[in-house]
This record gives sequence, C-alpha cells and structure tokens, in this order.
Amino acid sequence: MSSVLIIGGGVAGIQAALDLAEQGIEVYLVDKAPSVGGKMAYLDKTFPTLDCALCILAPKMAALLRYPNIKLIMNSEVQDVSGRAGNFKVKILKKPTYVDWSKCNGCAVCTEKCPVKDVPNEYNMGLSNRRAIYIMFPQAVPKRAIIDAEHCMRLNPPPKAKEKAKGPLCGVCQRVCPTKAIDYEQKPEIIELNVASLIIATGMELYDPRNMPELGYGKHQNVYTNLEFERLVSATGPTNGEIVRKSDGKHPKKIAWIQCVGSRDIRFNHYCSAYCCMAATKQAILAKEHLSDVQCTIYYMDIRAFGKGFNEFLERAKKEFGINYIRGKVVRIDEIPETKNLKIIYEDTAESYLKMDEYDMVVLSVAITPNSKLPVPVELTEDGFIKMKDPYLDPVSTSAEGIFVVGAVAGAKDIPDSVTEASAAAARAALIAKRFSCPTEVVK
Amino acid sequence: MAEQKSEFEPKIVVYACNWCTYAATDLAGTSRMSYPPNVRIIRVMCSGRVDPQLVLQAFADGADGVIVAGCHPPADCHYIEGNYKAYRRFELFRKLLGAMGIEQERFRLEWISAAEASRWVQVVNEMVAQLKKLGPLKPNMEVRE
Amino acid sequence: MSEPRIGVYVCHCGFNIAGTVDVKKVVEFAKNLPNVVVAKEYVFMCSEPGQDLIKEDIKANNLNRIVVAACSPSLHEVTFRTAIKEAGLNKYLLEMANIREHCSWVHHDKEKATEKAKEIVRMAVAKARYLEPLEELEVGAETSALVLGGGIAGIRAALELANYGFHVYLVEKSPTIGGKAALIGYIDPQTKGAEVVSKMIDKIKECPRIQVLTNAELIQLGGFVGNYNAKIRINPRFVNERCTLCGECEEVCPVEVANEYNFGLSRRKAIFLPFANAYPPYYAIDYRVCVKCGECEKVCRFRAINLKEEAKILELKVGTLIVATGYDPYRPFKGEYGYGLHPNILTLFQLERLLDPDSPTKGELIIGGKIPKNIAFIQCVGSRNTTPGAKEYCSRMCCTTAINSAIKIKERYPNTNVYILYKDIMTYGSDETLYEEAGKKLVNFIKFEEKIPKVLITPEGLFIEVFEYTIQENIRIPVDAIVLSIGMLPPRDIEELIAVTRVSCGGEGFVREAHLKLAPVEAPTKGIFLAGCITGPKNILESIRMGSAAAAKAMALLSKGKITIEPMIAQVNEEKCSGCAICVGVCPYSAISIKTVNGDRIAHVEKALCMGCGTCSAACPSGAMQHLGFKDLQLLAQTRAVFGGEVHG
Ligand SMILES: Cc1cc2nc3c(=O)[nH]c(=O)nc-3n(C[C@H](O)[C@H](O)[C@H](O)COP(=O)(O)OP(=O)(O)OC[C@H]3O[C@@H](n4cnc5c(N)ncnc54)[C@H](O)[C@@H]3O)c2cc1C
Ligand SMILES: Cc1cc2nc3c(=O)[nH]c(=O)nc-3n(C[C@H](O)[C@H](O)[C@H](O)COP(=O)(O)OP(=O)(O)OC[C@H]3O[C@@H](n4cnc5c(N)ncnc54)[C@H](O)[C@@H]3O)c2cc1C
Ligand code: SF4
Ligand code: SF4
Ligand code: SF4
Ligand code: SF4
Ligand code: FES
Repeated sequence: MSSVLIIGGGVAGIQAALDLAEQGIEVYLVDKAPSVGGKMAYLDKTFPTLDCALCILAPKMAALLRYPNIKLIMNSEVQDVSGRAGNFKVKILKKPTYVDWSKCNGCAVCTEKCPVKDVPNEYNMGLSNRRAIYIMFPQAVPKRAIIDAEHCMRLNPPPKAKEKAKGPLCGVCQRVCPTKAIDYEQKPEIIELNVASLIIATGMELYDPRNMPELGYGKHQNVYTNLEFERLVSATGPTNGEIVRKSDGKHPKKIAWIQCVGSRDIRFNHYCSAYCCMAATKQAILAKEHLSDVQCTIYYMDIRAFGKGFNEFLERAKKEFGINYIRGKVVRIDEIPETKNLKIIYEDTAESYLKMDEYDMVVLSVAITPNSKLPVPVELTEDGFIKMKDPYLDPVSTSAEGIFVVGAVAGAKDIPDSVTEASAAAARAALIAKRFSCPTEVVK
Repeated sequence: MAEQKSEFEPKIVVYACNWCTYAATDLAGTSRMSYPPNVRIIRVMCSGRVDPQLVLQAFADGADGVIVAGCHPPADCHYIEGNYKAYRRFELFRKLLGAMGIEQERFRLEWISAAEASRWVQVVNEMVAQLKKLGPLKPNMEVRE
Repeated sequence: MSEPRIGVYVCHCGFNIAGTVDVKKVVEFAKNLPNVVVAKEYVFMCSEPGQDLIKEDIKANNLNRIVVAACSPSLHEVTFRTAIKEAGLNKYLLEMANIREHCSWVHHDKEKATEKAKEIVRMAVAKARYLEPLEELEVGAETSALVLGGGIAGIRAALELANYGFHVYLVEKSPTIGGKAALIGYIDPQTKGAEVVSKMIDKIKECPRIQVLTNAELIQLGGFVGNYNAKIRINPRFVNERCTLCGECEEVCPVEVANEYNFGLSRRKAIFLPFANAYPPYYAIDYRVCVKCGECEKVCRFRAINLKEEAKILELKVGTLIVATGYDPYRPFKGEYGYGLHPNILTLFQLERLLDPDSPTKGELIIGGKIPKNIAFIQCVGSRNTTPGAKEYCSRMCCTTAINSAIKIKERYPNTNVYILYKDIMTYGSDETLYEEAGKKLVNFIKFEEKIPKVLITPEGLFIEVFEYTIQENIRIPVDAIVLSIGMLPPRDIEELIAVTRVSCGGEGFVREAHLKLAPVEAPTKGIFLAGCITGPKNILESIRMGSAAAAKAMALLSKGKITIEPMIAQVNEEKCSGCAICVGVCPYSAISIKTVNGDRIAHVEKALCMGCGTCSAACPSGAMQHLGFKDLQLLAQTRAVFGGEVHG
C-alpha cells in the first residue's frame, strides 16, 4: 500500500491523518512545530458553542498515537517535492531537537532544572517565559522535550562565559534526564519519502499588527492581539486564566476589540479573515465570565455571523452578556502615559465624525495570512492562498494532480469547515494511494 | 464561622436519556448556565429504560423529588418510541404515588431536547422551588430491593 | 469476577473543574469509598500523562474498575476506555463521573459544588462496583450506499462513493437530479450553475455503479449500520426511457401551471421537462395536476407515455445512508416588502433565473416589460430576525449571491443604479473581493439596523423608505424593481425525514451533526452521514465539499466490510424469563422473539438488531431482561449511592 504525506498538523491535518489511518493507509504527518495541534491548540474556548478547544482537540491529537500507521515527523519542514501523482518524491528537513525522542518520555524534569529561564514562551505568545529546554504545551503530542539551541548555554554559549570556561558550559539537562535522552550532537537530518499523494494543511499565521503603527501594538503595553488574549483567558495560559494588564497586573474594567486589523483593507489584505468577528464575540463573552463587571466593546465594520449558530451567538452576546457593538473604523490608539490606558480615536459610521473613548485594554482582531510559501509546485490565488483548481468539479484539489489542500491555507475559515475539507481530501488522497497499490477502475 | 441560616435543600434524582436530556444537561454546562446544585443525574440510554421500581427506590431512600426526562414526543426519541413507553408507564405511576403518600408534584416527566439547556435549567429551578414549598418527603412506604 | 479494585481519578481540567470544586477533598473522600484502592488527581486527565497515570496504576495496583471524575462521558469516555484497554482491562470497566458539565460549570458556590462532586463520584463508584466486562460484536457490512437527495451535495457524495467502488442508489424526490444549484444563473461571476450541474450529471451517466432513482422517496429504514434495509417508493413518472424529448406531448397537454423550475417566472404544462439538462432526460408528468385526459399518450409516437403506471416499491440493502435533502427557500408572506402586491418585486431566486441565458428573457434583465433603471436588493429577508416570520440565523450565502448578481447587472447595464440594503455584509473569506468590486462598480450600499426598510407601492411607482444608518437619516429611494434576498429554511417535509431516518434537529430546525465542530458531516446515529444544506445554510462550494466529506466518512467506516457493534444491548437471563412476551411488544426494533428452548418459552434478543435502548429491561416483570451496562443492579446502586446507601447483590 502506498502512503500519503500531510504537511501541517493543525486540526485539518490531524483530521485528514485520522481518516486516512482508519482505512489502513500509511500516513506521514509533518509539522514545523514540536507538537501537532496548530492554532486550535492555542485557543481557550471555541465559538459558537463555547466548548473548550483542547477538550475536543486533545482526544484527536492523542488518537494519532494509537495508529501504528501514522508517523509523526515533528520540528520538520518539507524541502522539495518532485514526481507526480502516485509517486511523489519528498525531501524533508528534520531540524535537530537535541533530544532523542525515542528515549524522552516527556517527564519534564529537564525543563524544571534548565538555568535559562527567560526565553519568551511562544505557546503563550511571549506573555510568559520558558526554559531553553521545553515541552511546547502540557497536552503536546508527541509530548517530548526540545532544546532551543539559540538560547541554550551549552549550544550557544554567551561569548564572555565561553572565554572563561574551560570545557563546555551547563549540561544540566543531560545530567538530570532520567532516560539519557539529551543529545547535544544531534544534526539536521534529511528524510526522503515516496508517497502517492500529498495533503497541504499548513494553516495560517497571524498578520503582524506592527504594520499599522497607528494602533500602537508593540509600543503600548496593554494592546494585545486576539491570539494573545486567547492565551490570557486560558486556564493553561501565562496568568492561569486571569485577565490582567501587562502594565500593572490589574484587572481591566473596559476592554475594546478592534475588528478587521489587516483584513478587508486595501493596504494590507483584501480578504475577510472570517474567524475574527466570532472570535471577538467569544472573547468578550469569556471576559465577562471571568470579570463580571468588565465592559466589553467591539468596534466593527460588519459583524460576520454567517455560520451555524453564529447569529444566535451574536444575539446572546448582545442581550445576555451586554456586549457593546460600535460600528466604527478605528483611526488611532494613543497611550495615556500616566495610566497606560488607551485612547481609541475612531470614526463612528453612524454619526460620521471622529470620536474618542478610553479603555484599559485593547485587543486587535488581526488578519490571518496563509502559510503557503512551500516548495510544492502548486498555484496560489491572488491573495496568496493555495488555489483549488476546480472547486466545483474536483473539490480540494490543487493545480497539481495528486496534491490536495485543506483548512485555512486554502482560504480563511473556521474549524468545522477545516474539518470537513480534511475528510474530503483524505478520501481523495486515499483513492490515489489505493489506486497505485491495487488498481481500481476510477471514474474521474 | 457564623451559623448560616440553614434552609431545607431538597435532593432530586434525575434519570436522563442519553441523547436528548443528558445532552441538554451537558449543554447547560458548556454554556455556563447556572442552577441550584440539588440534582443528581443518572444517565440511561432512553427514558424508556427507567423502571418505576427504581423511582420508588429513590423516594424510599430519601429523594425529595424525581425527574424522568427524555426526548420530545412524538419523533425525537433516538429509539423511535421509548419516550412514549415512558409516558404511558409514568402517567400510570403518577396516579399510584398519591396512594403512597407522595405528592404528585414530587415527580416530573419532562421532555428536554439536546438543544434545550435553558429548559433544563428552568425545570430544575421550578422543581427546587416547588419542593422547598412542599418540604422534605416523609415516605410511609416499603419498597422491596 | 473477582472483588472490585477501583481506581478513582479526579481531573482539574485546568481551572474548569478545580476553579469551583476542591479536587483534593474529592480525592480524599473517594479514598474511603468501598472497594476504592487508589484515588488520585491530575491537571488534565485526558492528556497523555493523565492517561498514563491510570495505565500505570492498573498494572501496579491490579485495578479492575476505573472511575474518572472529569467531563461528560460524551467527550472522553472513548478516550479513557481506550486507555484502560491499552492497560489490559476490558474497556467497559470504566465509569465517568461528570463533575464538569454537571457540577463545576453550573454552580458557583465552591462548598456546595465540592459536596455535589463527592456525591457524583460516590454514585459512579457504586455503579463501577457492578460493572462487567463486555465484548464487542462484529457484523458484516454492505459496501453500498443510499444517497438521499439529488442536489449538488448528494451528487457529489454519490460520485465520490462510486469512485471508492461502492454501489450507490441516488434517491431523488423530484423528477430530476440537480437540486437548486441547477437553477441558479451564475453561482460566481464566471460560473453558471447549470453548467456545473450538467458536468456532474455527465459523470453520473458514465458511472455504472450509480443508480439514479427519481420521483422516489425513502419510506422506511430498518436495520443498522452496515446493514440498512431501505424501502423506497418510486412514484410513477408516466413517461419511460423511450422518450426522445420531441416535446409533442407538451403541445397538446391542456393543463398549465406556474413553472417552479423558473420560480414562477414562466408556465409549464402538466407534462414537462424540468430544465434542459435534466436527468434522467425524459419528460415527466406532474400527477398532482394531470387530469388524465390521455392527449399526450395519444400524440406520443414513441409510446413513451403510460398513464396507468403505478407506484413501485423497491427494497434495498445498503451499508450507509447519506442525507442530502437540502433546504427550502424562504417564502416571503404576501405583503412582506410588498411581495405579491407588485409584479416588479421578486425574489433573489427569480432574479437569478432571469440572469440565466436559459431564462424566459434569455438572460436579459427585463422586469415588468423593461430594463429597470433603479433596482434595489433588500437583504436578510427571512433571516436574522428581520421580520416576525424570519429565522434568527444568517443564511450565509445571500449577501454574496446578491452582490454577485449586482455585479452582473452593473456589467451588462452600467446605467442601471443598483442599491443593496443590508444589515451586515457577510462576504466572509475571499468573497470580500466581490464586495470590493461591487463598490468599484458603484453599487450603492445602504445600511439599516433594527428598523427595517419599508416598501411603498404608489401610483408614482415603487419607493423604498429606509433609515440609513451611516448618515442617520430617513431616505426615500425611487426604484423600478426590488429583489428580496431570501434566505433558507429547513425543508418543509423534514418531519417525515426525521420520522423515517431518526436524524434529529437543532433549535434552528436543520439537522443536527454528531458534533458541530469536529464531526460536521456525521449524524449521531452510526452509519448516517449528512451533506449540504440539510444541516444549515451553505453555498454551493461548501455543499460540495460536505458531499465529498460525507462520502469519505462513510467509506472509512465501511471499507473494511465489517462493523463492530457496541455491546451495551439487551440480554435475557433464561433462568428468570417466564416467556410472558411483554418485552416483545415494547421493542421498537422487533429485536425480540419468543423461542422454545427445551420446551420452555424464552425471550430471545437478536443482537444485531438490538439498539440498546433498554425499554425491554424496564418492562420485564421478572427481571430477566437486562440492559448490559445499565443493568437493574447497576442503576439501583447508582440511585442508592445518591443517599449514601449501598446494594448487596
Ligand atoms: C485568535 C483566534 C481565535 C479563533 N477562534 C476560533 C473559534 O473559536 N472557533 C473556530 O471554529 N475557529 C476559531 N479560529 C480559527 C481556527 O483556529 C482555524 O480555523 C483552524 O485553526 C484552522 O486549522 P488548520 O489546520 O487549517 O491550520 P492551523 O491551525 O494553522 O495549523 C497549521 C499547522 O501547520 C503547521 N505548519 C505551518 N507551516 C508549515 C510548514 N511549512 N511545514 C510544516 N508544517 C507547517 C503549523 O505548525 C500548524 O501546526 C480562531 C483563530 C484565531 C487566530
Ligand atoms: C436565493 C438563493 C440564491 C442562491 N444563490 C447561490 C449562488 O449564487 N451561489 C452559491 O454558491 N449558492 C447559492 N445558493 C445556495 C445553493 O442553492 C445551495 O448551497 C445548494 O443548492 C445546496 O445544495 P444541496 O444539495 O444541499 O440542496 P438542494 O439543492 O436543495 O438539493 C436537495 C435535493 O434533495 C431533494 N430532496 C429533498 N427532500 C427529499 C427527500 N425527502 N427525499 C428525496 N429527495 C429529496 C430535492 O428535491 C433536491 O433535489 C443560493 C440559495 C438561495 C436560497
Ligand atoms: S528530562 Fe529527559 S525524558 Fe524528561 S522531558 Fe527532558 S529530555 Fe525528556
Ligand atoms: S471576520 Fe469580521 S473582523 Fe474578521 S476580517 Fe472578517 S469582518 Fe473583519
Ligand atoms: S448572508 Fe447576508 S443577507 Fe443572508 S442572512 Fe446573512 S446577512 Fe442576511
Ligand atoms: S434494548 Fe430491548 S427494547 Fe431496546 S432495542 Fe434492544 S431488545 Fe429492543
Ligand atoms: S432516547 Fe431520549 S427518550 Fe428515548
């Protein structure tokens, strides 16, 4: 039986892997991160039902490990794809983790003893710190430690310390690791695979709001992106779920969400990112649940409540939780130096003149951009998403035969739509995999 | 700690069908609705599974109220007509309660769909209020185990 | 089985549980419950290390029953069952104590919540003491499928399943497959609905594994996953495959009615061809209006017509059912925005038909005899609570569709002024570019809020009065034509669908998925899948992808040719059974029969037919019928444990 390669292990990639594995097909799942999960693993709760993201995702992640025919290739990126449907040759660069994952059991002893304590924790969007050796998040799959070479004293010693020291520095993790898994000598590795079909599920990245200096992100301490806020309300987040301001650790009393930051804007991205209206609504509800006296206001252009249960969710937010929606274009955010509060200057479209309001926390609902720069010979849309060749007659197929695309990298979308596409692509990839092992008659 | 005014807190046993009512009780949770903690939920696959004997046992053991809940008639029951069977069984049963000195209000047969978390909350609230009015149950009956 | 040795695991679920329930106290309490050998807590029981904790304890402490106090069993029962199985325990020796959905998330008083959590754990432990190992059954599965509904979603699912080697019955209620997509002029600026549908129909024609049954209805569904028995009624079409589409019958037919395939823009006869590329490509007689005059029968040179044709019943055995019965368009009530009171007020569907080159006007925008100079779209008709009869949900595709049509109009009639009156414009994702383009083409967007626009029909013509939100002023727009952007409704006959297939509906009236986010194409009943608008509004692309996904899921389930059946079914204790046959009468699936064993009448349960509702068990007067996993003793123990009591069995 031939196999299928999935690039990207977000919710879409995971679903595709499980569907393929269920049919007995061999699956390689490559992710550049040390764990699968994608963006959904960062989320606290999910709209419109408010069920907790990891509660529903973690079982799927864990299920990957139950299939012997799924091979996870983490911390890796695809370097080259050649060949054609039925017989693709893929070259994968496996970056060193400096930990032998066949030995590591995820006990996390090393991460408690490592002396480098001030590395910004990516999983918490830099709102907390981690060690140089770390496990991406508590429910990571696979749950394995990885050394961040750049910050590791041993692998990248500070020049001064290096001069003074005689031998190699630190080495604490190697000493404490009960399974002798640490391997400072690990080298990048090239993995070559032959697969019948590929599924691209590389998802999205958040657009950098520093491109809009007027919003003050990165300058004003209490301006957050929505993904940062997601971590902030999460029980597994930097503050264990307490919503506090970066500047003074106090609970905010007035929070504003700014929609369409980088989306629907001819200067940046033309498209609508499709998740952020509902995400902001969700986050405002969560804020209300955490801090009952907080005032939540959402500045928007259109509230896009288009999916199943979305408009009902929006109505609840307004009526039951008293979330305030203002149709207005935010022009500028200024920081008040004494209080670190934020002055939002916006054009209220209802009255067509500039208004000002003060908040003590601001969340930017930023655009997403596709992770589509891949060494895979597929066409992109004008907006940079991976193009579906003929979405009506040949759904989820790219311009290259045998290569499929699912999830947010094929267009901004939410979880259910990503999952639906994943199943569809899994079946089409399975067909190719099976065709090349036991030819069946195919009606195309 | 100062003495708290101790109000009578009734205890309610709920037999909830897996597909509708149990799902509604879960939804009430995921939607973070709030209701008094007086209920204890026992999951059965269908309201048709609930044996009146079991309900009697609950009363005998000290339940102040019992709710049997399933999917809406006519067509919601996952097993076609288990809810209808429950309906017939418990309408009869309700009449027998009086004879045993149990007020009929202590027993409710409810239809709560998987989407009706708020209905579930309402039923609990109503029942708790009702039972507080009635006070604790002092059964005068013997039930075989 | 040997003495129960129970392990209790209490999950913090981050703060979800630990924020309200004092987990430590619950653990201490659990330690003292009968038969409990170990009780532990962990931050995320469902995570790998959490599961490992249980597995290790099973081995180290010889545990033979596990209680996990965490979230709802609907989320993680499978997770933990698998975990204990991996540790060598029968996976049904697990009981979940739902202290999250049923406790920490609905109560705020920490003390009371902790007390309640303790009792929930006590109930679970009580039941666990009486749990028994159960074995799954395996049954064969047919690799054939019934796809119900021949719209774009159903067609896609059928094609996909045929590719996997399934035999597919595509059952369509109307005389042709194609659904609504076939009738939409332009489904995006470049693509015609009819074209896409006919290309897909061409593939269906080529595919020997797909059998298309039109005029057909599913009237009964028995059996279970892998082995469904479907009864189909094929209503007479009165025209057979000898029909050459000459159309002579149509000429002579005396009965004329509004043509629903043109949304009433034209008229058709009682004998008619739905649309040019209809499939199967034969005329059909609409039995509801046919007067049986026999004129058509006489004129048909090919003897293709038989007015005496009768309904046929077909019985099929299929492994899976895909429900793709679509939606009904919202029908504005008479007078809603002037609908029905003025010929120039039409629905979005009618406009789309007009713009189709195959329309009665050959694609020309001719409304009320001329090309309108001013045309306005009113959005959210029937959706988003705009009017008393409107639904709360957003119909998702009408904004993009209206804008798409507006662009088409602007391209062909640059001098026509187009207005779109909206609440919010839902051009999500890349559809936003259409919104941008409409702006460039000078389509006027007018926003309203709670106060909906008013249509005035006056002797001077049509006017729309609206409070324009962005200028906060009442404005009055003279228009020649008004298009109502109607939304979607669940199909009118959804009740019948529910009665036959046992799918269920959510609050908004569409069919419910097994999980809104992670199982969007599965129905709660195993073996039944969902595709297209039957689960809620979608555009054509989304419907197509759902068709593919539903087929994929069905294939993954059946590809092995066998299915495992959950063992929580009914079982007869032959010693106790008195043969009274009460159970036989209550079983909704006719799974029970009376057999004579050694001269005694004894109930017998057909395992593959039993769906495990337990109704028989509740009805059995002698306690002979037991519902595995929900045995009398188990439920009794659970009940008594609410009050601290025990059973001795
Ligand atoms: C703040 C926020 C809140 C949200 N809230 C919700 C919500 O409540 N409900 C909802 O339905 N949706 C929500 N979403 C949207 C949801 O996150 C996405 O729909 C979903 O994550 C898309 O899944 P995906 O698998 O396509 O992509 P991703 O989740 O982005 O996963 C992509 C994966 O691919 C990997 N990858 C990327 N590039 C490469 C490469 N070159 N090589 C190898 N691997 C690579 C990444 O590491 C990642 O693991 C939210 C999004 C954000 C940002
Ligand atoms: C006004 C309007 C304009 C639209 N314009 C666009 C557009 O421009 N672009 C776009 O992408 N989408 C558009 N849509 C949406 C589009 O129509 C749907 O996405 C698509 O048709 C859904 O396909 P479906 O197969 O799910 O349902 P349907 O097309 O409704 O097909 C369902 C099929 O099932 C059959 N059926 C129903 N009940 C039964 C039963 N009990 N037994 C057997 N068969 C049954 C029906 O006869 C029908 O053939 C529009 C919708 C509306 C209301
Ligand atoms: S100490 Fe060793 S085994 Fe434990 S997490 Fe670190 S590398 Fe892995
Ligand atoms: S979903 Fe809402 S916030 Fe996000 S880009 Fe679209 S309109 Fe803007
Ligand atoms: S898509 Fe647009 S017109 Fe349709 S219901 Fe939603 S907001 Fe209204
Ligand atoms: S549990 Fe009993 S009544 Fe229910 S399906 Fe099985 S045999 Fe029939
Ligand atoms: S399944 Fe809910 S009452 Fe039968």
